[in-house]
Amino acid sequence: MAIAKQKRLRNSRITPSLIIGIVVITLIILVGLLGPLFINPKMARVGAVEPNSPPSATILFGSDSQGRDVFTTIIMAIPPTLRIGIITGLISVLLGLILGLMAGFFPGWPDALIRTFSDVLMAVPALAFMILVVARMKRPNLVLVAIIVGFLTWPGTARSIRSLVLSIRERSYTLVARANGETELGVLFREVMPNLLPLMIASFIGAVTMGIYTVMALEVLGLGSNVIPTLGMMIFWSTRFAAVLRGMWWWWSPPIVVLALIFLGLFFLSRGLDRYISPAIPTTWSRRRPRGVSPKSEPATPAEKAPSAVSDGTAVLQVKNLQVIYETPAGIVRAVDDVSFSLQAGERMGVIGESGCGKTTLATALMRLSRPPAYITGGQILLEGRDLLSISEEDLRDLRLKEIALIPQASMNSLNPVMRIGPQVKDGLKAHMGKLSNQELDARVAESLERVGLRPEVANRYPHQLSGGMRQRVAMAIANALAPKVIIADEPTSALDVVIQKQVMLTLKRLQEEEGASVLLIGHDMGLIAQFADRIGVLYAGKLVEAGSVQEVLDNPLHPYTRLLIDSLPTLEGKHDLVGIAGLPPELLHLPSGCAFYPRCPFADEHCKGEAPVLQVPIDHRQVSCHLYPEHTALPPTPAKANILQA
Amino acid sequence: MLRYIGRRFLQFLLIIFIANSITFLLPRVIPGDPIREQLETKRAAAGNTNVDINAWVATYNERFGLDQPLWKQYLYYWRDMVRLDFGYSLFSYPATVMSKITSAIPWTIGFMSVSILLAFLVGTALGALLAWPSSPRFLQGMVPFLMVVSAIPFYLFGMALIWIFAVKLRILPPSGGTDPTLIMRRDWKTVLNIIKHAILPSLALVMYGIGSWSLGMRAVMVSILGEDYITFARAKGLPNRSIFLRYGVRSALLPQVTGLAISFGLILGSGVLIESIFNYPGIGSLMYAAINQKDYFVINGTVAIMVFCAASALLIVDIIYPLIDPRIRYGT
Repeated sequence: MAIAKQKRLRNSRITPSLIIGIVVITLIILVGLLGPLFINPKMARVGAVEPNSPPSATILFGSDSQGRDVFTTIIMAIPPTLRIGIITGLISVLLGLILGLMAGFFPGWPDALIRTFSDVLMAVPALAFMILVVARMKRPNLVLVAIIVGFLTWPGTARSIRSLVLSIRERSYTLVARANGETELGVLFREVMPNLLPLMIASFIGAVTMGIYTVMALEVLGLGSNVIPTLGMMIFWSTRFAAVLRGMWWWWSPPIVVLALIFLGLFFLSRGLDRYISPAIPTTWSRRRPRGVSPKSEPATPAEKAPSAVSDGTAVLQVKNLQVIYETPAGIVRAVDDVSFSLQAGERMGVIGESGCGKTTLATALMRLSRPPAYITGGQILLEGRDLLSISEEDLRDLRLKEIALIPQASMNSLNPVMRIGPQVKDGLKAHMGKLSNQELDARVAESLERVGLRPEVANRYPHQLSGGMRQRVAMAIANALAPKVIIADEPTSALDVVIQKQVMLTLKRLQEEEGASVLLIGHDMGLIAQFADRIGVLYAGKLVEAGSVQEVLDNPLHPYTRLLIDSLPTLEGKHDLVGIAGLPPELLHLPSGCAFYPRCPFADEHCKGEAPVLQVPIDHRQVSCHLYPEHTALPPTPAKANILQA
Repeated sequence: MLRYIGRRFLQFLLIIFIANSITFLLPRVIPGDPIREQLETKRAAAGNTNVDINAWVATYNERFGLDQPLWKQYLYYWRDMVRLDFGYSLFSYPATVMSKITSAIPWTIGFMSVSILLAFLVGTALGALLAWPSSPRFLQGMVPFLMVVSAIPFYLFGMALIWIFAVKLRILPPSGGTDPTLIMRRDWKTVLNIIKHAILPSLALVMYGIGSWSLGMRAVMVSILGEDYITFARAKGLPNRSIFLRYGVRSALLPQVTGLAISFGLILGSGVLIESIFNYPGIGSLMYAAINQKDYFVINGTVAIMVFCAASALLIVDIIYPLIDPRIRYGT
C-alpha cells in the first residue's frame, strides 16, 4: 500500500521543481501584496533614519548611506519589480499568441513575414537595444521599458504556438474532420485552444523572467528611476556607494537575496511546468532496483516448474525460465515470463508474436541489454554452457558480437547518425580483435559489406544517405562481421517494403548458410518466418505457448492461438475471407488470471480461467502450454462461436 | 548550398540594416539633444552659468553634420558605419568613439573568452557525466546546486564574491583590471596582475556557465542515450568509454557547439553588468561610464558593434552547422 502510494507520487506530473517554484513565487507575491500594509512608507525616504547604521534594536535591518530603512525599502521594492515582470509577460504572451496563431493558420506570406520579423528580433541583443532607448529618456520610465521588452520577447512564444498549430494540422483527425465538411479553421481552433493554456503559462513565466532581468540590468547600469525604489535600484545604490567594500552587508545583501529568490522561483516554476506539460521526458536513468523483485545476480536455481526445453548436447543457446519485467508507473509488467527454449548449432528458429507481446524485450534480454525500466529478474541464458546472466560485464562485452550478435530492427536509429558507416563497422571489429592494422581493418570492413551485397564505398557514407534496405544490410554486416555462433534478428524487415524484405531475408539466409551460425528470428510475420526458419516458437503475452518444427506447427498446430494465427494468413489458392483473431492482445499490465489467452480462446473453460497452464511435451519434439493437453494429442476442431467464454 | 548561404547572408544584412536604422533614428526621434545636454552638464560642472552655449551647440552640430537634412545624415551614417567610424565621444572630445572601444575590447574579449571556454569545457563534461548511468553517485547530488547557479543572474554572485574574497578574506582585488600603480609591460608581473584581477569576475561567469552548460548537455545526452543506436553499440560489445564518447558525447556536442558560437557572438554584451560591478576596464565599464556621462555617441557605437557581433555569430552558426552535423544539408 505504502509502496503504491509512493509510486503514484513519484510518477505524477507534480515534480519537486513545480512545488518549490509555486511555494517561492507565492511567498514573494504574498510579501509584495501584504507587506506594504504593515510598514510605514516614509521610512523608505532619503534621510528617514540615521544613515549607515547596522541592524540594531531601533533600525531592525539597518539603513543605507542615504538614510533609508533597508527593510521598509525592500518591502516597497517588491511590488514594482513584480509589476514590471507581469507587464512584460502579458504583452509578450499576448503578442506571441496573436502572431503565432496567425503564422500557424495562414501558412503563406503572413507566416513568412512573421518569421522573418521574429528572426530579426531574436538576433538583436535585448539589453543593448534597451540601453540605447533608455539612455535617451530624460527620466527613465520603467513601465515603458517593460512594455518594450514585451515587444522584444514575443518570438519565442509565437514560435511554439505556431509549431503547435502546425503539428495539429498534420494530425489525421484534422484531416478526417476536414473530410467531414468542417472548416479547417474551426477544427484547428477547437483542437489548438485546449493545448494553448499550459504553453502560454510557460511562455509567460519566461517573459516575466526576461522583463525583470532586463529592467534590473538597466537599473544596475544607472538607467533606473531614482524616485521609485526597486530591487534593481537598491543594488545600483549599494554599488554606487561601495556598500560591499565598506562592509555594509545589511545593505547590499537583502536585495540580492530577494532577487535571487525571485529568479530561482521562476526557474523552478518553468522547469516544473515543462515537466507538467510533457511528463514523458525522463531526467535520469533510475538505477534503483524495483522493490519486491529480487535482482538477478546469482545463477538462478535450475528449472523446477517447466520441463526445460529439449536439452541435448548440441544446443548453442539455451534459455531457461527467462523472466523480464518492466517497472512502470502503474505497476510491474511481466514482459517475458518464464520463457525457455534452446537453439541448436546451425539452426534457424523463428519466434512469432503480435505486437506488444514481448518480442523486442526478449531479443534485448537475450544479450543482457535490458535497460531500466526493464529488468531481467530470473532465469538463465546459456551460451555454450556459460550463463550470460551471471558472467562479469567485461566478459559479456567480449562475447557480444564475437559469439552472439544482434541485428536490430530496420530503422534509421540503430546506426549512429553522425558517424560514417565504415567506422561503425570497424569499431566493432576493433573492440574484439585489437591488434589489426588499419589496412587490415579496412579490408575486413569492405569484406563484411560485400558479403551482404553492399559496395565497399558505402563505408564512406552516413546512415541518412542510405536507403532503409541498405541500412538493414549494414546492420547485418556488422552483426556478421566476426562470424558469431548466434545471431538474434529482431524484426529485421519490419520497416521495409515487401520486395526489399524478401531480398534482406534471402541475404540473411545466405549468410546463415555460409557461416553456419544459429539464427533466432523474431517477428510478427508468420509468412516470412515460416519461409526462413526450421523451428518456430509462438510468443503470447510474454510466454512461449508453443514450439516445434515449422512443418509440424503449420500442419498441426497444438495451441488454439497458433491455429488462429495460421488461419489468419492469406493463401494464394483459397478464396476464403480473411479472418482475424477476435479481441486484442492483452495488456501485459492487466493480464487475466489463469491462461492469458482464455478471453480470446474458443476452447476456454473455467479451468483455464483459474489456473495458468505450463509448457509440456504432449508429442515428441512438440511443446505447448495449454490445458487441452495431455488429455488430447492434437488440437480438436474449433467449437462453435457460442461457446466462447466472455471475459 | 550557395543559395542557402546567400539567403542567410541576406537575412544578416536585413538584421544589420534594421538595427542600425533604429540606432540612427532613436536619438533623432526622441526629444532632447545629446550635445546640448552634454554641454549643459559641462557648464554646470564648471560652475559658469553665464556662458551662452547655443553657439557651441551649433558649431558641434555643424561639425558632426547634424545640421544636414535627415536623409543626408542617414547616408553619411551608413558611410561612417562601413568605415567603422562612430564619431567622437561627447564627454571626452576629441577622443573618437572607436578609439575608446578599441582600448576596451581586449579586456572584455580576454576575460570573457577564457571564462566562456572554461565554463563550456567543465560544464559540458559534467553534463555528459551526469547523464551517464555508471558515473559516480555524488555527481547527481550536484544537480540542485547547478540548477541554482544557472537560475540566478551571475552578476548577483559578483557582489557576494567581492565580499567573500576581497573584503573578508582579502586575497583578491575587489575591482579594476590591474593595480592602479602597475606599469603595463610585457612581463610576468603584469600578466599575473591581470590574471589576479580577472579571477573574481570570471568566477561569477564560470559558476553560472557551468550550471547552464551542464544542464543543457545533460538533457541532450539523456535523450541520446535512449536512442536505438546506443543499444546497438552495446550489442556490438564496444567498451563503455567508446560508447560514451563516440556515440553519446559526439552527437550531444552539436547543439552545445552552436550554443558556444552564440555565446561568443554575445561576448561584448553579456559581460556588461559583471564588468560594471567589478569596474573592469572593458566594454561594460565603457558603457557604464558613457551612460553616467550621458555620452550618447559612445553608447550608440558600442551597441552597433554588439549587434554586429551577435548577428555575425548567428550567420556563422547557420553556415557552419551543416558542416559539423552530417544530417543537415544546406536546404531550407
